[in-house]
Amino acid sequence: MSFTSPAFFLFVLVLVPVYYLAPKRSQWIILLIASYAFYLFGSVKAVFYLVFTTITTYTAGLLLDRLNRRRAHLAPEEKTLGAKRIKRQKKAVIVCALLMSFGLLYLVKYWNFTAELLSGITGAAVPGLNLLVPLGLSFYLFQSVGYVIDIYRGKYEAQASLPRFALFVSFFPQIIQGPISRYDQLAPQLLARRSVNWDHLKYGIQLAMWGYFKKLIIAERIGVAANTVFADNSAYGGAVLAVGVLAYCIQLYCDFSGGIDITRGVAQMLGINLIENFRRPIFSQSLTEFWRRWHISLGGWLRDYLFFSLSLSKPFARLGKWARKHIPGKAGKILATSLATFIVYFVIGVWHGANWRYIAFGFYNGLIITASLLLEDRFIRLRQIFRMSDHPGWRLFRMGRTALLVFIGRYITRAPRLLVGVDMLWRTVFDCRISQLWDGSLLTLGITGFDYGVVLSGVAVLLLAEYQQEKGVAIRDTLARKNPLLQWLAIAIPMAVILLFGIVIRSYVPAQFIYAQY
Amino acid sequence: MDQLMKILSECCPGVDFEQEQNLVDDGIITSLDIVTIVSEIMEVFDIEISVDDLMPEHFNSTQAMFRLIEEKRA
Repeated sequence: MSFTSPAFFLFVLVLVPVYYLAPKRSQWIILLIASYAFYLFGSVKAVFYLVFTTITTYTAGLLLDRLNRRRAHLAPEEKTLGAKRIKRQKKAVIVCALLMSFGLLYLVKYWNFTAELLSGITGAAVPGLNLLVPLGLSFYLFQSVGYVIDIYRGKYEAQASLPRFALFVSFFPQIIQGPISRYDQLAPQLLARRSVNWDHLKYGIQLAMWGYFKKLIIAERIGVAANTVFADNSAYGGAVLAVGVLAYCIQLYCDFSGGIDITRGVAQMLGINLIENFRRPIFSQSLTEFWRRWHISLGGWLRDYLFFSLSLSKPFARLGKWARKHIPGKAGKILATSLATFIVYFVIGVWHGANWRYIAFGFYNGLIITASLLLEDRFIRLRQIFRMSDHPGWRLFRMGRTALLVFIGRYITRAPRLLVGVDMLWRTVFDCRISQLWDGSLLTLGITGFDYGVVLSGVAVLLLAEYQQEKGVAIRDTLARKNPLLQWLAIAIPMAVILLFGIVIRSYVPAQFIYAQY
Repeated sequence: MDQLMKILSECCPGVDFEQEQNLVDDGIITSLDIVTIVSEIMEVFDIEISVDDLMPEHFNSTQAMFRLIEEKRA
């Protein structure tokens, strides 16, 4: 069920009153039923993966929790030997849980790529698997695995009730494209007993509408131009190719962050605050900062469960010791952590799918960020020599430089094949044909001049709002201080704009979200 | 404490480690800084800090880091 389908509007319209009118002790059950109904609506077969992930991570959580308790109650004379034995048992449990979870992910998302690779290398036909890729698998799987690792680390106790845990894994607004929540932040909210709160309702509607604005008015329109350019890239010169990639950058941001706004808005209507997934990435001063502001929940997950684990593991500790001894300066001190950083960015690339494009994208980000870490001291010295202080021009330059690096990366991920992406990038620089920008070529990309006008106006509104937020203005709080009529107008007018420009004028088709495929 | 201050100032020059009380929560130090600091601390103080110790409350201030070191030494 797409967030932009009439069925979804009806679903939310029915669910919200039912949730608040239901007896408080059974509100979480309503959410569980709604979540499974939502997922079943998309695909009955895909529910198998959801149930499998829920049961395996639930069981692993219980086993680890039991071992944590046993360790806490060890008699003093058993402390050393008993603790070692329990540590071994915990390791066995978590290794099994990780193998089962990531094994499933590997089979579904990565096996066919491996089979193709093996066939190419050995010459023998390695059979692929014709498995359904369930929507949102990477999201709910990462969320559940995060829970298991937290129990392993003794961060909190396991959830004893399977249905309650199932709600944490399947909560419908976030199951398709995140954000990847943490159990201790989300579960208490899902299980809380609530009365209707008009502020939550109002804020939720406003946020969801902001998401629909981004998705239906901007992303869906400009996405047509991006698709046209990438589908038939040989027909265009470099300048139009660059417009196509820029169109894709706008589409991707408005599609993903718009979807997350709808997710968080719907959750907020139910009184549940989901974590932020975007913090205005356009204002990033570096690629590292960009990844701290883009898909925050994935970055946070990889930081807590992969980066920290890798960096403090024994092999990395040994590498760190060796580097400190043999490589002078800061580079020696941070070599091991830089390698861990590189691995994290590589994983971010591969997380998107099994494809050379994503592998290259991971390398691209990993190499730039790792190099910038290792060369940081020299950059600082250069800045001092050229007296580049923190003035607005320098900040603007850094923003532009970061945007350019992200822009180049998008050639790789959106092109149908890696080499096509590289060729498009090459032609952008060396076969520009800049006259195509004004000879009418842009009007052959599937959207009209009017559409370009709508997109540009939409992007201007978006940038203005984000600039205000960046300065610390809380737009919805500011609006809440105005009189009630103005507040309702602030809902009604955007709703009319979305209906008119997002649905009525366009030949409307309920659209899927790009990140739902991951 | 002096040894710790030396590690911190070398790792993150320009940060006021004597005054700041929300180094992690306010994003003054990043995850990369934390890991670099932890690696240095383990090396200099010859202690073991595990991934389970990487909680914001242990790194929000110099005092908190010092408490963690003392705890691990005990």
